[in-house]
Amino acid sequence: MKKGMIKATRPFERVVHWCLALSCFLLCITGMSTMYHSLNFIGAVIGGMANLRMLHHYGGLFFGASLLVAIGIFWKDAGRFSSKEDWPWIKEAGGFLWHVDDIPEVGKYNPGQKMFFWVVALGGAAMLASGLIMWFPLSFSKQLVRTMYVVHSLGFLIIFAFIFVHLYLVTIGAPGSAPAMFTGWVTRGWMKKQHPKWLKEMEENGTLEVYGGKGSNKISSS
Amino acid sequence: MTNHYIDLKNSDCILIMGSNAAENHPIAFKWILRAKDRGAKIIHVDPRYTRTSARCDYHVPLRSGTDIAFLGGMIKYIIDNNLIQDEYVKYYTNASQIINANYDFQDGLFAGFDAEKRSYNKKTWTTEKDEKGIPVRDYTLENPRCVYQMLKKHYERYTLEKVSSITGVSKENLLKVYKEYGATGAPDKAGTECYALGWTHHTTGSQIIRAMSIIQLLLGNMGVCGGGINALRGEPNVQGSTDHAILYNILPGYLKMPSGSLDTLTKYNEKYTSKSTDPQSANWYQNYPKYTVSFLKAMWGDEATPENDFGYSWLPKLDEGKHYSAMHTIDAMYAGKIKGFFAYGSNIAVSSPNSNKVRKGLQKLKWMVNVNLFDNETSSFWKGPGVDPKAVDTEVFLLPASASMEKAGSQSNSGRWVQWRYRAANPPGEAMSDGTITMLIMDAIRALYREEGGPCWEPILNLKWDYRNSLGRFDPLKVAKQINGHYTRDLVIEDKVTGAKEVNKKGETVPSFAKLMTDGSTACGNWLMAGSFDQKGENRMAKRGKEDPTGLGLYPDWAFAWPLNRRIIYNRASCDPQGKPYNPKMKLLEWVGDRWVGDVADGPWPPLADKEKGKFPFIMKADGVGAIFGPGMVEGPFPEHYEPLEGPLTKNPISGQLLNPAVTVFKSDLDKVANADQKYPYVCTTYSATEHWCSGFTRWQPWLLEAMPEAYIEISNKLAEKLGLKNGERVKVASIRGEVTCVAMVTKRLKPFEVEGKVIHQVGMPCNYGWFNPVETADDSVNHLTPAVGCPNTFCPEYKAFMVNVSKA
Amino acid sequence: MSQELIKLIDLSRCTACRGCQIACKQWNELPASRTKNTGSYQNPPDLQWNTWTLIRFQEHEDQSGNVKWLFRKDGCMHCTDAGCVKVCPTEALYHTEFGNVSLNVDKCIGCKACMYACPFGVPKFNAATNKIYKCDLCYTRLQGNQLPACVLSCPTGALQIGPKDIMLTKAYKRAKALGGDASVYGDKFVDGTHVVYVLPEKADVYDHLPQDPKIPLQIIVWKEFLKPAGLMVAGAVVAGAFLHYITHGPKMPEEEITSEGGDKS
Repeated sequence: MKKGMIKATRPFERVVHWCLALSCFLLCITGMSTMYHSLNFIGAVIGGMANLRMLHHYGGLFFGASLLVAIGIFWKDAGRFSSKEDWPWIKEAGGFLWHVDDIPEVGKYNPGQKMFFWVVALGGAAMLASGLIMWFPLSFSKQLVRTMYVVHSLGFLIIFAFIFVHLYLVTIGAPGSAPAMFTGWVTRGWMKKQHPKWLKEMEENGTLEVYGGKGSNKISSS
Repeated sequence: MTNHYIDLKNSDCILIMGSNAAENHPIAFKWILRAKDRGAKIIHVDPRYTRTSARCDYHVPLRSGTDIAFLGGMIKYIIDNNLIQDEYVKYYTNASQIINANYDFQDGLFAGFDAEKRSYNKKTWTTEKDEKGIPVRDYTLENPRCVYQMLKKHYERYTLEKVSSITGVSKENLLKVYKEYGATGAPDKAGTECYALGWTHHTTGSQIIRAMSIIQLLLGNMGVCGGGINALRGEPNVQGSTDHAILYNILPGYLKMPSGSLDTLTKYNEKYTSKSTDPQSANWYQNYPKYTVSFLKAMWGDEATPENDFGYSWLPKLDEGKHYSAMHTIDAMYAGKIKGFFAYGSNIAVSSPNSNKVRKGLQKLKWMVNVNLFDNETSSFWKGPGVDPKAVDTEVFLLPASASMEKAGSQSNSGRWVQWRYRAANPPGEAMSDGTITMLIMDAIRALYREEGGPCWEPILNLKWDYRNSLGRFDPLKVAKQINGHYTRDLVIEDKVTGAKEVNKKGETVPSFAKLMTDGSTACGNWLMAGSFDQKGENRMAKRGKEDPTGLGLYPDWAFAWPLNRRIIYNRASCDPQGKPYNPKMKLLEWVGDRWVGDVADGPWPPLADKEKGKFPFIMKADGVGAIFGPGMVEGPFPEHYEPLEGPLTKNPISGQLLNPAVTVFKSDLDKVANADQKYPYVCTTYSATEHWCSGFTRWQPWLLEAMPEAYIEISNKLAEKLGLKNGERVKVASIRGEVTCVAMVTKRLKPFEVEGKVIHQVGMPCNYGWFNPVETADDSVNHLTPAVGCPNTFCPEYKAFMVNVSKA
Repeated sequence: MSQELIKLIDLSRCTACRGCQIACKQWNELPASRTKNTGSYQNPPDLQWNTWTLIRFQEHEDQSGNVKWLFRKDGCMHCTDAGCVKVCPTEALYHTEFGNVSLNVDKCIGCKACMYACPFGVPKFNAATNKIYKCDLCYTRLQGNQLPACVLSCPTGALQIGPKDIMLTKAYKRAKALGGDASVYGDKFVDGTHVVYVLPEKADVYDHLPQDPKIPLQIIVWKEFLKPAGLMVAGAVVAGAFLHYITHGPKMPEEEITSEGGDKS
């Protein structure tokens, strides 16, 4: 860890994030394995498709539990849009799609991240609900069960797309992001680029934690 | 059956009455549907709309027990509308014969009735004969005393209105059936009748069949393809067991059971050998002594000699005027007159009428042997409902028997085809075939007699009893050969005309009953079966040839059909007196040059037109013709409608005789009757379901039990409404003799009848259930309700019409 | 040589003897259930995991008040466009060389989707084994050139099996011969079933017989649209990300300008 790096996440947040991420990954893999016959071979690895189905079911329960916790944690910062702050960012697409000289400044989470939060929260809930109905279809009406097949697969498409974008951004799309969910420490440069307002806020109310220094230390303003 | 199953397809009109063919004879129904494909009309007349009705052109509901009224109306319709097959009626039936001047019929009674004995003196039930002993005939059928005119007179009372009022069948429906069936009187048309227990299970059972026989003779439907009277007989080898004398009053091959007064073979043969002086009558039963002597030789072998009357005295004899039917036996059992009892493959605690009486009767036995596939209500009667096992002294032996698939032997179908079949599996556990069980028991009895002696030892120790094969096991083929018959010594028969000599060696099987002798040179267990092996000993019952040279479905090389492999009996009646087939499209038989071509003809003689050698077609009758006037019956030569023992009416609408006058009514305290009683207002009938077998050993078969799990009563939606019953609800059904519980099956398939101006409700219950299993329901036998009364000719019980009440359980 | 087969059920010949129902259980070794009499001959009351074919009994009163007793042998219709095959995740349900839909029970994972995709309500679930079961037209018997158990048991010729074209010709000929309301049922939907009825009564009279059976809309959306769409979306996001990377490039963090940060750790 370099000195001067800024603490962006708490350990608990990271644990929850990874519970969610890994179970989601597992669900995608097992789900796709049941959706596409050519991926049935994945089932063989764990002793058959019936096992894979069980893994999907219990993985789903784990995902659901993680999702609830995650919503609880991230709701406050990522769950609410503020038109004053978010609208300018949205108009410029956060500078991700075309060149923007001055990217409008947003808080801890930019509107893209907030949208991602909502997709995961609502999509995940829909996946959980439809998945449970599909798991125990005999207790529900035929039409409902059939509709749940549509909901579940549609939900998958949307979540899958968002997660891929998420993955892209945190790896090569916005380099320097990933450490936030591994070590929890990010560089100030990344912070300035991605979340300048958050940085400012933390500096102002003294919650900024810097590796190797005191939390309230103002290192530089350059 | 006079015809056979496949022949049903050749019919132009099939009347299914007294039968639920689709449910109880599903395989036979295949051929009925083939006839339908050819355009035949299929009519179902039955109290209930059944699975049979669903596949017929139409169903006509009829009140249980009124079949003779229905058929009597048809006879009247046929005569009134002159639908008879004229030539056939004149020459092939006794319609032209003149009835004894003293014969009479008044208000339901025929001449000669003895009210005390409930029986007839039949001396006036005869036809006139000339000085040579030949029947007097009036071929114009105009003599007022001729059978045809007397028939017409007898059925004059059976008007549409009357018949409709008795049967509950609408006049339109009556006319529809009469017209359709009457149309088969055309010489080239054939109508057939399929009946089963729906006709025999009545106090008038035999006469219902007689009524139909009259119709078939009037319409020229006997002996022809697609015609005949066809009893669809039950799966339990009913045909075979009857052929081989399961009934108390016959010996194998329908020979008469001797009675006490016939103490010598001569007297016996004299009484039963048919006599005729008519040169045109073949009178086949003149050969009767050949069959009795050969039978006795088969029983006692070398011990049967001319000197000892071939062992005739060793045959058991009936007491004069006494009957020994199952009902009589049970009555005697209940009266404590019977010590021991074999229930061989039967479950009388479920299947016999008035089960309460049956079960009480069983308690009075000293011992009982039940030979069966499973323990059942009969072998476990001592622990049945309401029975205290401690109070029962009867010792019960249950001998496990093998199922039909677990033993080889012959099985006869309704079409008289005797088919050899092979063992498909070994019997489980200690189970043995009936043959083995019988053999072992008889072996033990003979050993005891040999050691200790005893009364009546001759029939037992002289018995020819060598049915073991080289391994010492019971050999059904040996039994079959004994039944077929063999030469007991070398016999050379010389043809009187050609002088050709036929050499028969001792021990060779007899190829035909025509070869049987009165001198003891042949032995034959059942003359009808002679020819089931050929002379070389080849088993014709095992033949499976699929050729059908006539194209009529006769399949002469498939198995053996008695008699003499004849597929349709009385087949000479299918041709006119010149020997030309009435229906040229179906040449069952044709006289070509000097011989018959087609089926095995009913005798080699030329057709009737040959005044010298020609013979009448009905060769088993002394006068050679079909009996429209039938004096052989105990309750009258013409069938007459009588009400069942228990019915809804206090008065017979057509005569002063409510009940068949010749019926025996048992007098025990349990033989209660409730005719036209307010407490039991509904007509009930019983039947078997497709899914179960007789008294229900199929209740052990989970798949069949799944399909038909528990006892039920079919009840019309109208009656259910009246009684406030819901479909599927449990109900109590009671007659004056007992009560049972079951599930109510409310259906639109049953409809109330209008009888004598009153609304009469009909219900129906299956007979396949009993308390022993399945234990969860334990609905008891419907025969708790039925009366022990039956047809006076056959003593077949009246299961099909009695009175009950239905209420919520 | 294998060819497309059709089992023809001529209900005008059915006597409801239920030989087929029992023969099916015998050949396929299906245990019996302990049933109750519910006031009907029909038993078990419906198709079950252990009842692959069932005779339905129905009392029908026509307009003129005539009561008819209708029988219908219910069971798998062996659709060409089979919903069950479409949704089966493991290919446990599959079309054979004869055109029938067979079931490899070992592959079944008990997801029950087929139960919701079948327009006839045929596949039934057994909780004890966690698998579904249904008629496979006695596929192994067909392979051995034997008749299906039900066809073999039928006493009246109500059940027949044979090459598709021959059976369809027979069916239409029979319906024509019967006249009246008789019709052929099965060849006009789901791309043709491999079980075809000759119905002596109007099709809409029969209980539990769908008038216009088709795979439910949701199943089509799921399997015909969303399933391929999944691949498209996957392709699109990968392509989009790549395009974004090469055209717009990553959003790099700001240069590290302090001496404390950067490479001095």
